[in-house]
Amino acid sequence: MANGKMRVEHLSAYYGNRRAIEDISLEFPKNEVSAIIGPSGCGKSTLVRCLNRLHETLPRTRVEGRILLDGEDILELDPIGVRRRVGMVFQRPNPFVTMSIYDNVSVSLRFNGRHSREEIDRAVIRSLQQAALWDEVKDRVDAPAMSLSGGQQQRLCIARALAAEPEVLLMDEPCSALDPVATAKIESLVAELKSEYTLVIVTHNMQQAGRVADNTAFLYLGKLVEVGPTEELFERPKERLTEQYITGRFG
Amino acid sequence: MSGDSPATPEEPRGADTELRRLKVRAKEMGQWALQMVHDGWEAFRTGNLVGAQNVLDSDTRLDRFDEEIEHEIITFLVLRQPAAGDLRTAAALLKISTHLDRIGRLGFDMARITTLEVLPDVPELSSVLRSMDLTVESIVQQSLDALVEDQPALALGLFVRDDEVDRMHREAMRLIVRELARDPNSARHLSNELLVARHFERIADNACKIGEKTIYAVTGQRRSEYLPRHPYTPYVLEKSAPE
Amino acid sequence: MSAITAACAIAILIPLGDIIYQAALLGGPTLSFSVLTAGLPQPCSVPVNGVPCAVGGIGPALQGTGILVGLAALVSVPIGLAAAIFAVEYRGRFLGTAISFTADVLTGVPSVIAGVFIYAYFVIYDPALVFSVITGTLALSVIMIPIVTRTCEEALRTVPHAVREAALALGIPKWRTTLQIVVVSALPAILTGILLSVMRAAGEAAPLLFTAFGSRLGFEGFNNPIEALPLLIYNFAESASNNWIHLAWAAALILIILILITNILSRLTIARMVRRMRGE
Repeated sequence: MANGKMRVEHLSAYYGNRRAIEDISLEFPKNEVSAIIGPSGCGKSTLVRCLNRLHETLPRTRVEGRILLDGEDILELDPIGVRRRVGMVFQRPNPFVTMSIYDNVSVSLRFNGRHSREEIDRAVIRSLQQAALWDEVKDRVDAPAMSLSGGQQQRLCIARALAAEPEVLLMDEPCSALDPVATAKIESLVAELKSEYTLVIVTHNMQQAGRVADNTAFLYLGKLVEVGPTEELFERPKERLTEQYITGRFG
Repeated sequence: MSGDSPATPEEPRGADTELRRLKVRAKEMGQWALQMVHDGWEAFRTGNLVGAQNVLDSDTRLDRFDEEIEHEIITFLVLRQPAAGDLRTAAALLKISTHLDRIGRLGFDMARITTLEVLPDVPELSSVLRSMDLTVESIVQQSLDALVEDQPALALGLFVRDDEVDRMHREAMRLIVRELARDPNSARHLSNELLVARHFERIADNACKIGEKTIYAVTGQRRSEYLPRHPYTPYVLEKSAPE
Repeated sequence: MSAITAACAIAILIPLGDIIYQAALLGGPTLSFSVLTAGLPQPCSVPVNGVPCAVGGIGPALQGTGILVGLAALVSVPIGLAAAIFAVEYRGRFLGTAISFTADVLTGVPSVIAGVFIYAYFVIYDPALVFSVITGTLALSVIMIPIVTRTCEEALRTVPHAVREAALALGIPKWRTTLQIVVVSALPAILTGILLSVMRAAGEAAPLLFTAFGSRLGFEGFNNPIEALPLLIYNFAESASNNWIHLAWAAALILIILILITNILSRLTIARMVRRMRGE
């Protein structure tokens, strides 16, 4: 278990009295892509939102257990600091509507600490390159963010998250609002990013998990049913429930 | 994907039905191939050229079976993008159709070497070959049943019966060698009998491979996980039964 | 169907047009630059000793409206905006719901009550200040704060939750998220809300009857009474003196013009702001 960048131990999460995740223990190895699959309502989004402590920003929520980042329990650290180390990309692209492309990407730098204009410029270029968007926008970084297409906006959000230089990147169904071409671009991006970051991707599309993930975890009704290397899970799942889900026998 | 309520297991849907249909098709092809083996052996044994010709003509249908099954499996793979058991079954069926094709071809070959001469009376050899035919046909049938009924246990029973066929094969070889030494002029038809014995052994082998694929489709296990490695040695080093 | 709706639309425009027409007709002739700056004249209907009635001016009223509305805005906007932020961003707590509900109710309170309330309070605690700029400002604030709160609340609610989440997920603290991202993206709607409250306050006479009270002179200090356009209109319109009546109409026309100009200019500016944000 030595190379687990992030790990959850006996994690349970609640919305009021409703328990959305029950006693999950799971590891996310460093520089690998871990996918979380499962039917609607199984708790996969909730799990991921615990990893950057976004879950607790909603009213009446509660978390039990431990969430470890490099061995430290993030529940005992400052949440702001945690969120700078664990970035997130959401299901629907959500760039800041009132800002330009440049301003969007540089948000984390402008709001956290003092940076010189040159530093910010460099960071913006680097992040846009990492997100495979630089070539498409390099002539118009001051254009409004909303002038981009859906797929470009999502890559902008990825660039924005990367500009904060996180260690882990969480992606909550990042392609579900995109067309197949945009989806393919983002999937190849994920493959490139894992050399520098640890990625956790929630997806309801099993073929996507098959294409991008090294490890896959299957959740059902808030519990972890099975986890393992992706090819094993997809060719020879150990649990009957897993087999039923991935062959489409339910859901 | 369903809405807010969590999904639950439902009745079998398209993939189940489709796979069942494909297995039934494979069994049909197997029955056809088995018929070719039976008729080919009978034609050879009795020197029946008309019978032999019928077997040779059946080859076309066998080819068509093979192509149809392959096409349907490819379609299944491309449209449904199966995983786990469904994927294993589809992959297994592709290979099984190849093995079934080989079994049919071996029957075809037996028909092809049919001549007007009836088997000379080497009673022990004839009886061994007849036993081989009965055993082998039964083994092939068992492999088809195991496939269609999803019975890995039934498939597992094939391997020990294959050992039996191997023994019969070695016995036939021994008898042929002895007969050749006694009457070198009989070499021509004895060589045909040698081929037939070899064909039977190959047919049983193919049936075992079908069994292996059936076990893989159902359980995901590969041969090395449930069978110890068979210690093979060249025939010449084996101690055969005393003459 | 569209004929009926068109007819209704015209029906709405008619009274508005009529008001403007009357005001222009009756106040127009009196209006001139000096009228805007000069002090209030003595009441007079007929020339006395051959001296024609002084035209005078509405200068003090203009000044007073400017001061009162400006100060009231200075007080109301921060309080209203803060209350709205609390109600929306810290929703789920009892106080948030209470603020929302209270603001809702208070927008329906008759404006004269606002004046009476402030009047009564100061009568008891500081009679010297009863009629002053301070009380006038407070009375107008009582009108403005609920409007600012309600409209800012609506504006903040329309900011999608995704925006807040995106900012939080980047490790931006909640207070900065709220002020520099959420409020900024709701700015057009917030400014519209502030504008609405300002126009309402500019036109209210009732709250000022018991507080600012009115005065013949311009600004004399925060502790002293002050004039305002609606007050002047109220006081002069009933008067028997012609010059006062003329000035009342002039004041009415000015008030209408001011409100129209403010409205149109602000809408244009906000619309341009929105277009720029959307990248068109």
